[in-house]
Amino acid sequence: MSSEEIESLARKLKGKTSKSMNSTVILVDPARVLDACLSVASFEGFYHLTTITAVDIWEDIELTYHFWKGRSFVSVRTKVSKKKPEIQSIAASLPSAVLYEAEIRDLFGVTFVGNPYTGKRLLLPDDYPDDLPPPLRAEADPETIRKRMKLE
Amino acid sequence: MSSGKPSEEKSEAGAGLMQYSPESMMPFGPVHPSLKEPEYFRLVLEGEKIKEVIPRIGYVHRGIERAAQERTWVKDIYLFERICGICSFAHSICFTQGVEALSKFEVPRRAKYIRLVVAELERIHSHLLWLGLVGHWAGFDTLFMWVWKDREHVLDLSEAITGNRIHKSYATFGGVRKDLPDDIKDKLLAEMSFIEKRVKYYDELVSSERTLSVRTKGVGTITQDAARRLCPVGPLLRSTGIARDVRAEDPYAAYDEVPPEVQFRTDGDIASLLSLRMGEVLDSCRMIRVAMEKLPSGPFRTPVPRSVPAGDSAFHVEAPRGELFYYSKSEGLSSPARVKIRTPTMANLLTATEMLKGRPLADVPIVLTGMDPCFGCMDRVSVIDLDKSKQWAFTGEQLREYGIEYYRRLL
Repeated sequence: MSSEEIESLARKLKGKTSKSMNSTVILVDPARVLDACLSVASFEGFYHLTTITAVDIWEDIELTYHFWKGRSFVSVRTKVSKKKPEIQSIAASLPSAVLYEAEIRDLFGVTFVGNPYTGKRLLLPDDYPDDLPPPLRAEADPETIRKRMKLE
Repeated sequence: MSSGKPSEEKSEAGAGLMQYSPESMMPFGPVHPSLKEPEYFRLVLEGEKIKEVIPRIGYVHRGIERAAQERTWVKDIYLFERICGICSFAHSICFTQGVEALSKFEVPRRAKYIRLVVAELERIHSHLLWLGLVGHWAGFDTLFMWVWKDREHVLDLSEAITGNRIHKSYATFGGVRKDLPDDIKDKLLAEMSFIEKRVKYYDELVSSERTLSVRTKGVGTITQDAARRLCPVGPLLRSTGIARDVRAEDPYAAYDEVPPEVQFRTDGDIASLLSLRMGEVLDSCRMIRVAMEKLPSGPFRTPVPRSVPAGDSAFHVEAPRGELFYYSKSEGLSSPARVKIRTPTMANLLTATEMLKGRPLADVPIVLTGMDPCFGCMDRVSVIDLDKSKQWAFTGEQLREYGIEYYRRLL
């Protein structure tokens, strides 16, 4: 995708772009993420979703969907508030996202509405305490987790 | 085992890509010693054929991404290279290069070539290991023993260059930790000739040997359309005819000067994977020769400052199993704020479940090994037979024997 195409897509989605090294990031609201991902993925050759990255940024969880072709990544980025960490799943249209979303659900507690992986957990143990914050959140304390799960 | 009753297993049975009644859920067991995340599969059978496969992972989840946030940047190199014993160097160069890009650290040309040579040696050792495993799972233990003996030559080279066979602790920010030994070029070239000869023999052997061909031709086929939807990586992707390889498409280290001849096949089955990986080993041997001929002189490392500026970087390399991805975020502190890792096996998991659909139970070991998952053996398999409304558990060994017996009857 050329930078003009990315800019015009960002404008259409009422988002912004930012460029860092090999990545162009399109920053959008959570409600526009599905549209953004479908637009990028349908662009010639950009069908490959490398992964979805989640980062705890204090009050929010930032999600980045990385698409790769050639020498660059075109990524869609958004953030969801920790008070209501919910976003529409993209897995119905982009099936490769299923496990990446399930992983983020386990480790960050973000709900991907419509994600077909219906199991309670993908990679956390079943007896991970429900009242503790998900382990990769900043407020999660490894010592507390270990004590509660009787690992020491 | 019970029949027609909900699984005796605990609520792990709850995981599912589709909703199935508890009676029809068949867990398929985890615990793989050499894997980052041993996988656990539920198989739903109808008659002899697999109808649905549901993965559940995390049995050796070590909290590495969290641990990385509490260690310094340099210590994290040693943490990440221990994620996997087979593609350890791929992890370390993916992480170091991502941070180098972020920090704009310069890596000398000689170091880039050395990284290429060690990375290709790792690819050879990984594919040979895999070939041995395929032999083992198919009941062809002689192949397994021979291949792993040849692999020792590669591990000896790794030890001669880096000091270690597996976790090489060789890459660092700004280059590699020590230079190549003076006498290594002749040793490398001699061993490359040896490996090439052996691999050509194995290539012929596996394509002509009936025990293997009946279990691999037309088995576990994926189409290009499925590949575009499910986004597998590495040899699994290239076996469908989509010739994407990070080394060629988005070159790093010295791959812009010593590019790979990207191997691909078109049948998308396990037999293609066998032939493809052998082709990759031969190409790696070629690349090592070329790199050693063109090896530039100069420093093997640039001294770099201890701090990493704020920012984030997305970087990927072509590990033996496919695209390995690292996202690193720095807030200018001595530890990373976040490192997100997506291993190739994670990307291939979904495709592997597709490959199993419609296949008989006996194909499970070969197909799962075919995707070259980062695990050595399956500890326990549970199978649910919808028709007979019963379920039972196989150990990995029992499943392997079941598969061998099943195909022996066909021969």
